[in-house]
Amino acid sequence: MKLLSSFKKELILASRGFYFYVELVFALVLLAVLLFAIPQNFSSTSTEYLFFNLPQEGKGIFINNILKDDLDTKSEMVEVEASGKTFNAELIVTDESEIYIVDSEEAVRTLADSEKVIGAVIELDDNNQLHYKYYLQGYESTRLKNLIFILQNESTDVLEERFENQDVRPLSTDYEPLTDRENTIPPLIAFSGSLMGMFIMASYIFLDKKEGVIEAYAVTASSVWRYLMSKIFVVLLTSVVSGLIIIMPVMGFRINYGLLLLLLLTTGFFASSLGLLIASFYDNLVKAFGVIYLLVFLLMVPSIAYFIPGWDPVWIKIIPSYPLLQGFKEIILPNGNIAYPLITSAGFLAVGIILFTITNTRFKKTLSV
Amino acid sequence: MLKRIWTIFIRDLTVNMREFMTLFMMVIPLLLAVGINFLSPGINDTSVNLALIENENPEQAAYFDDFAHIELFSDKQRVEDRVRSRDDVIGILPKDNGYFIMTQGNEPESVLEYAKLLNVLYESDVQLEDARSEIIEFGRTVPPLKKMLVNILLLLISMLAGMLIALNILEEKVDRTVSAINVTPTSRSAFILGKSLTGMAIALFSSIACLLITGFYNINLGQAALVVFSTTILSLLIGFIQGLNSDDVMEAAGSVKLLFLPMAGSIAGYEFVKGNWQIFFYWSPFYWAYKANDMILSKSGSWPQLILFIGIILVICGAVYALLAPRIVKGLQ
Repeated sequence: MKLLSSFKKELILASRGFYFYVELVFALVLLAVLLFAIPQNFSSTSTEYLFFNLPQEGKGIFINNILKDDLDTKSEMVEVEASGKTFNAELIVTDESEIYIVDSEEAVRTLADSEKVIGAVIELDDNNQLHYKYYLQGYESTRLKNLIFILQNESTDVLEERFENQDVRPLSTDYEPLTDRENTIPPLIAFSGSLMGMFIMASYIFLDKKEGVIEAYAVTASSVWRYLMSKIFVVLLTSVVSGLIIIMPVMGFRINYGLLLLLLLTTGFFASSLGLLIASFYDNLVKAFGVIYLLVFLLMVPSIAYFIPGWDPVWIKIIPSYPLLQGFKEIILPNGNIAYPLITSAGFLAVGIILFTITNTRFKKTLSV
Repeated sequence: MLKRIWTIFIRDLTVNMREFMTLFMMVIPLLLAVGINFLSPGINDTSVNLALIENENPEQAAYFDDFAHIELFSDKQRVEDRVRSRDDVIGILPKDNGYFIMTQGNEPESVLEYAKLLNVLYESDVQLEDARSEIIEFGRTVPPLKKMLVNILLLLISMLAGMLIALNILEEKVDRTVSAINVTPTSRSAFILGKSLTGMAIALFSSIACLLITGFYNINLGQAALVVFSTTILSLLIGFIQGLNSDDVMEAAGSVKLLFLPMAGSIAGYEFVKGNWQIFFYWSPFYWAYKANDMILSKSGSWPQLILFIGIILVICGAVYALLAPRIVKGLQ
């Protein structure tokens, strides 16, 4: 009852403050960004500049081959500018790329250099064999360069035929991928909702420290842990409300909201307890800012791995935001794995309880710092 | 007036330097710069991860190693377990007449296509020694992702400086030092400006140090310092507004969170929005700062362009100041 009463008081106080509404406005802005600024799927077309230094007939064969993939099977004559020069080009637009066929090697070199994309010159060598000259930036990995190096060793038709005949055996076929918009949701909820709790919780405590609230608890019938827990409840409430504001209009009723609430609450509890622990070591926010800043950066690293499919080193998996992001992803995935968010929630709850216990002991001992 | 501002700055710097916190704030961006150095080679080397059976075909494993990351496992079951894990790993396993590709079923199409292509090249006995291609490089060594991370770090340093200034002013407000200044020969504006110089000095020092640590020593550091300076003026302005208008640390904390939105939006807009749609970000000084930094880090810009970008940032800052001047003056009272 005392906890409930403390929570009610904290909630009334929070609702009178500026921060509570910042959270809601922030969530609404993120929702607007999701709905209006982020497309269902990002266009991932690349740009290539090619020059066929070949007899007209050979050039025609190459261009006709590329034209087969053009969206309207027609090319368009355009002018492209780079480094103060203008070049004429034949533009072919396919599903995957915009290919500019220019009329000199200088044009390929200048455009590839200024636009920082790949350029290629296809010509005949002394033995009348096709020779490919690629213009790369220099920062491409050795493995990628190796691939580019050998890509033209074998005839494209032969490679294409063998490629189509590859025996691919998926372990599961009931997987439906998320759209790019849906895929953006987990990092937004994780950082805006769950992890910002750390920063906000620390701010709450520093405010109360300044006003001597924690010392005052020593002479009241209520205990410090109830006071801390009531603060956490306020942060959890704002985190859940802002999380739902972001996720509901995009995902509708296609996801398991019980699981979502569970993960939001347990991760919010973990982040808030971490914020409390940090706050117990410092006497104001300015002094704690460095640690919080460093932690926020560390916690952001798994979001890089989240968006880069081939980069997922083992050490990243021990950063708490990794299971957090993956947990949210499993929840919004059609046919997602239910066990993963449950195990993740249990882990965050357990660590949160440990952090909270340590913090409570520290606050009880010192009553202030 | 200038002498007083300088005196306050030197005093503030001396006091701050005694505190662990200021040094900490100077060191953290440097640690992040080291972190970027640590992360970027791995990210840049990303191709595809393949799982194979150890000693099943060492020649094949050596071949794939030239084009992809290879992990070897003792048997098929272990390869399958690895493929089932959360990251994207493709198994290539023997069958009666060749090899088949084992996927989890949720890999991006590009990852699967890369793996299929490698298997085709191996089956077609396409060797590096037989290459008919030539590669000419422009000599750029910094990958785009590293450039992006360093650019974000530069903006964050300026933001951080602004936040520090805001929190410093807030502390002075709470301690009623701002009011006490009324009875000294120093004006309140000089006091606040003097206190803000520490944040700006930290921003300049950290930015230049981060550029050097991350290997951008060939860029025009003078140009970079100018952009950092203009962005810090922006952060300073925001810091003023936050610090002077917030009554407690919770309000300042809330404002900090709101501040991240235009910054993150501007970065995303510059990186992901194509062509004419970028016009929707022209209002944001963070957009221009990011664009200017990108130009400097790419070594692709000219002084007139840079001056134009900085001019836009300063004009936007001036407009915001003109709009909010009454609130700033009120906050100082």
